This record gives sequence, C-alpha cells and structure tokens, in this order.
Amino acid sequence: MSCMLPTLTKKIEVDSIIRDTLDEVLVLRFGRATETLCLQLDHILSKAAREVSKFATVALVDVDSEDIQVYIKYFDITLIPSTVFFFNAHHMKMDYGTADHTKWVGSFYTKQDFIDVVETIFRGAMKGKLIVKCPLPPERIPKYQILYKDV
Amino acid sequence: MMGETKKIEYEFCKACNINHNQGLRHKYFPNHKKSLSNFLNRFRTKLSHVRFFLNSPIPLNPHLASRNRIWCVFCDHDIHEHSSSFASANAIRHLSSAEHVKNLKHFFWKYGGAADQLPAFMFTHHDVAKWEKRCMARKEDEASERCGGKVFGPSSDDDIHNQVHTGNVDSLENVYSHSVKSYPSNAVLPLQCYTNESQISCSRLSGVAANSSEASSAANPFALQDFAVERTNHSLPCDGRQWLSDGYSCNNQVHDNGRMVSGGSSHQGLPLLIPISSGHTESAGGNLHSGAPPPWVEATEVVQMYSKPVLEDPISHSNKIVKSKKLNPKRVGAAWAEKRKIEMEKKKRGETVSNEYDANWLPNFGRVWQSGSRRESRKEFEREKPKLNDETQSEMPIKIQPYVSKRMRMDGGVDLASG
Repeated sequence: MSCMLPTLTKKIEVDSIIRDTLDEVLVLRFGRATETLCLQLDHILSKAAREVSKFATVALVDVDSEDIQVYIKYFDITLIPSTVFFFNAHHMKMDYGTADHTKWVGSFYTKQDFIDVVETIFRGAMKGKLIVKCPLPPERIPKYQILYKDV
Repeated sequence: MMGETKKIEYEFCKACNINHNQGLRHKYFPNHKKSLSNFLNRFRTKLSHVRFFLNSPIPLNPHLASRNRIWCVFCDHDIHEHSSSFASANAIRHLSSAEHVKNLKHFFWKYGGAADQLPAFMFTHHDVAKWEKRCMARKEDEASERCGGKVFGPSSDDDIHNQVHTGNVDSLENVYSHSVKSYPSNAVLPLQCYTNESQISCSRLSGVAANSSEASSAANPFALQDFAVERTNHSLPCDGRQWLSDGYSCNNQVHDNGRMVSGGSSHQGLPLLIPISSGHTESAGGNLHSGAPPPWVEATEVVQMYSKPVLEDPISHSNKIVKSKKLNPKRVGAAWAEKRKIEMEKKKRGETVSNEYDANWLPNFGRVWQSGSRRESRKEFEREKPKLNDETQSEMPIKIQPYVSKRMRMDGGVDLASG
C-alpha cells in the first residue's frame, strides 16, 4: 500500500512538501511500512487520497530514516503510526478528546472517517481556525496513553 | 360516509405516470402541473406532424403506412393508417371526431389543463372539410397526370419511394421537378421565405404553456436548417434538391396559407435523414465542396489562439487572481501562501529567490504542552536541541568497569584504611 503514496525519507523533502502545499491540507503519516497497523492506515490513506485530492495531499514519512529524526523529536512522535496535518505550512490541531491534540495516533476505522477528519480540518482552516473539533464519535478514535517525560 | 371520504381509491395519473390517492386535489400540485405541460407538449409535437398533413395532404406510401400511426393520449387509442390513401388521414378524422373532443374535454377536466389549449389538440370540422377538398384535388391532379403520360414514376407514391432509395442525381432531379409540380401548395421556394414565421407560429402555438422558450429554442435549429438548405441549393444543387424533395419526411412543415410549423425530431417519416446534424454542419459555414477550411483546422487555430497566451504568464496570473479571490482571505496562512506562491513562480521562471530556506528550517508546530504562538514551540525546540545533543553525548562516555564485589572493595578499603 505504501507504494501508492510518496514516501519521504529526507528532511528536505518533508520541508519542501510542507512549504509547497498551498491552500490544501497536507497529511503526513509518520510510520514504518512493516508495521501491521501502519499498513492498515496506509491502505486507507491510499484509497482516500484520490477522493480528497481536491483539497488535500497525502504523503508518508519513514520514521526509521536518520534524516527524519529531527522531525520525530520536533513533533513529539512517540507512537506510530502518527498522522500530522498541515495547512499552508501551519500545523493544524484537532480536538480528538485524547491527550494529544497535535496528531492523530493510530489507524482510522474506515476510509470515510479519514475523509471526514481531513474535510473538517480543511473547512476549519479556510475559516481561519487553527484547531477544530473531531467530527468522529469517540468510540471511533483509538485510545492511547502518553507517558510524559519530565512532567 | 366517513369511511368513504377517508379511503380514497388509488387512481393513475397519466401525466405524472404515478398512482395516487389524492383524488382531484392531485391536479393542483406543482409537480403534476409540470409533468402535465411536458405531457401535452410531447403530444403537441406529434400533432404538429399531423397538422402538417392536414394543411398539405400527401398521398401515403403503402410501405410507410405502418410507420405513419399515432397514439392518441386522450382516447388511449392507437390510430393506424393501413387503409388510408393520404398520410395521417385516419388521425385527422379521429382528431375531429366528437368522441375525441369528449375525451379531450374529460382529460382537461380531470388533469386540469388550461381550456385555451383545447383547440391545439383537436381539428375543427372546417379544417377537415378543407383538407378533404384538397385531397380530392390531389387525387384529380394525379389522375390527370397519369392520363397525360408521365415520364417519371408510375405514381407519386413510388416517387417518394424512389427518392428514398436512389442515390442517383438524375433520378433525384426528376423527383425534384415532379415534386415541385405536384405539390403546388407547399411550393419549395416559400420554404426559405417563411423561415422566420416558423419561429413565430411555433412559439405562438405553444406559447400557452410555460415552456414557450423551450419551444422557440427548439424551433431555432430548424430555422438554421432552412437557411442551410438555401445555402446548399446554391453551392451544391444535388444536395439541396434531395433535401427539398424530402419535404415529406423532413420536419419542415409548410402551410399553404403561408404559415409554417416546425415539428420535433421524432417523426414517423424516413429514417435516412438526419436533419439536425446536417443543419449544424452547414450552419458552421462552408463545406468540403465550397472550399471552406475543415473544422479541425479552425479548431486548432482557435486553440492556438487561446493557448498562446497560456504559455505566457498573464493567464496564469489571472488564474491565480481568480483562485485567490475565491478563497477566504482570513484562512490559515493566507499571507504565507501568497508569499510562497510568488516565490514558487519566481523559481519556475528561473529567478533566484532571495529568501532561501536553510536545512534547519522547521514549520511552526503546536506542541502538546505548548502555550502562546506556534513559533514558540520551534524556539523551544531550538533551545532543547543542544540539550538533547548533550544528553546523547553525555550518555556515550559511560565507562564499563569490571564488577568489584563489596567485600573486595571493603577489603581494599580496609586494606587501604589499614594500610
């Protein structure tokens, strides 16, 4: 599934895709193409990428790459797969009802869930909102716990 | 009584094509009114063919008799023309019959049509009497022609038949001249003169309904087509003649009193004519024989004309303006997007962009515990970075020492202490 979408392994690639995606939602999936959950998410992303292509770009980022580590640290990615959304090089937050509003952790249940999330982010961004509420019911949002260091 | 009023039986609405239990109320619903006007229009176009034959009777070819039939929607009756010698004779008689008028009035009562539309769906006895007179005249004409020793065909019925099947120019010409001679009422030349009137009369006929614009737009192609016929007559005689001599089956219907009604494209006539397509090609101006440039050449020229500016930036510029106009100016990162767009365009043109991003560039990112602007999280990260590096570096030089037991150390310590 990962072959259907561009996979980024260098920081400069990630930089340029964040900078060059204008007036569209950029979906960056941080993960590993060998993990089962990642594969599941990639499958959903690759199916939905075409359907959201008018207002979103989807790209995969390989967390094992050396060059990417700076982003892993910067985005506080501790669990994979994690999905981060950008709009005009601005990070978009979403209130999922989980501890972390900055990224979607885990896979989506269905393709439509992903499309709904991306669409809500796009609509919010077009209205100037940096944070939006997740349109999905809580039972469709994967639960996880973050252990904060130094807190 | 109560049960009766509550339980209204289902009945079928012919116009809407649905079963309903709303009783007579149904005819006042807007959906019904819309479908009724559609329904009547469809039948009106069919009747316009019949009306054509009413005004200019044409002998019916027995081969085509099976095709020349009409379904009367008001009487639910299929009108065949097997036994009639003139086209749509039975239909004309039916449409003027008392039974049809009764059914028609019942239909209009039941489905709520406007009473002023009634005459459009029936023929008056006066018209039919005129038609019969004309039929008689036609018959006499034919008889005299046949007696006078005709050159062309055995009968005019066969002429129509011939003109359909022969591609020969000579025979077509014969047919043409014959048709001119034998149809004094719908003389060929007036066809071009009354082009404008076709629109008027057509829109007047259907102007009662809400779709008068529809009807007039339907009439337009035919007006064009008439014009095209005129043109072909000049440039290509054989084509034009074929066209005109096919007046029987083509949709231009000429009234002898100078009025003309254009019919719809669904006619019971001959299948070999495709009037609309030829009308369009002709109306485009010139054809192969008149030496006009082929349409694809024109098309490419037009495309080039439009595509040339596309290569330059004004169009793309205007595109961008249009796009940005459409987008909300208050959207997230609007200013940044505009700036970046200009930069990307400059880069595309090969210009050097002054504001190059270095390898350490990071987007603004709101961290989990971040407060304040998102840029702060980047600054925070920049501050943390040396610390992180220190940590990794400081972790590296941990020396692995061989295990020394407590006792040994104690002993050593003791020794040291003692020593």
